[in-house]
Amino acid sequence: MSAAAQTQSAPSDRRRIFALVFGVSFAVLYVVCDMAALPMFTYHPGSDRIDLGFTPARPDEGPAMYWFGWIATSALGAFVLALGAALLPQKAGAKIPLALAWIVPIALVPVLIYSLKFYWRW
Amino acid sequence: MDFVLDYISVTTFWTVLFIVHALLAVALLGALTHQAVAVWGPVRLASTPGGSAPGFVTRFRSVFAPSYAGVVCLLWVLAFIFGAIIYTKYRIYVRIPIEQQGLFKTLGAFELKEHLVTIGLGLLPIYWYLWKNARNAVYDSSRKWLTIVLAAICWYGFLTGHVLNNVRGFGS
Repeated sequence: MSAAAQTQSAPSDRRRIFALVFGVSFAVLYVVCDMAALPMFTYHPGSDRIDLGFTPARPDEGPAMYWFGWIATSALGAFVLALGAALLPQKAGAKIPLALAWIVPIALVPVLIYSLKFYWRW
Repeated sequence: MDFVLDYISVTTFWTVLFIVHALLAVALLGALTHQAVAVWGPVRLASTPGGSAPGFVTRFRSVFAPSYAGVVCLLWVLAFIFGAIIYTKYRIYVRIPIEQQGLFKTLGAFELKEHLVTIGLGLLPIYWYLWKNARNAVYDSSRKWLTIVLAAICWYGFLTGHVLNNVRGFGS
C-alpha cells in the first residue's frame, strides 16, 4: 500500500459496515442453513405448494426444494446482523476487517464441497 | 404468465427463459472478466509517442473498471432471478433424469454453482460500495480480490451451467 493510501483514513460509515456484515454473514448463514437444513420455507415444484420450515418431499408430489428457503433465512439473519453492526459505535464498526468480504467466501468453498459429499461418489 | 402459453409451447417458453438466462450470464461474464483483469493487472500509462500500438491483452485490461460495477450488479441480479425461475423446472425435468443416469458428480458440480452464485449475490452490496468509492486507496486490496472472487464464481457458474445444459438441457 502506498504512503498516500496509508495516511488516508478509511471512512467508517454505516453503509460500508452494513454492506460488509451483510455479505459476510449472508455467506456464513447460507452455508449453515444448507448443512443444518434450516429453510424458512419449503417449495414443492411438482404441486406448486409452499410449506413453512423444513418439510420432506411428499409421496406422489415430486421433490421438495429448500434453496429458496435457505436464501430467505440467511437474508433475514444477515439483514438483522448487518443492521445491528451498522448501529454499533463507528469506532467498533471500523474494526471489522474489510478483507473478510473476499476471505470468507473462499474459506467457505471447502465447506460447501464437503457438504455436497453425497455427490462425489466414484 | 399463462397467457404466453396460448402462443408458444411450454417447452419453447422454458427454452426462451433459459436462453435469456444464458445471455445475461454471457454479458455478466464479459463485464466481470474485463473488470477483474483490469484490477489484476492495471495498465500503467506510458508516454511513448510513436511507439507500437497496444496489443489485445493491454487493450482488454485497460477498461475503466469502476464503470462496470453497476451493470455487474444488475446483470448478476437479473441472471439470478431468471436462474431461480428455471431452477424449479430443472429440479423436476432435468435433475431427476440426470440422477437416474447416475451422473452424480455433474449434479454435485451444479449444486456447488447454485451455492456459490447465491453467496455472490449476498456480496453485491459490499462489491458495489467498494467500487462506488473507487478513488479510496484504502479499499484497493479488498476491491481487487472481491472482484476476482466474483469473476471466478461467474466463470465456474458459466462453465458448469454450460456442461449441464450439454448433458441434458431444456427440451431434450
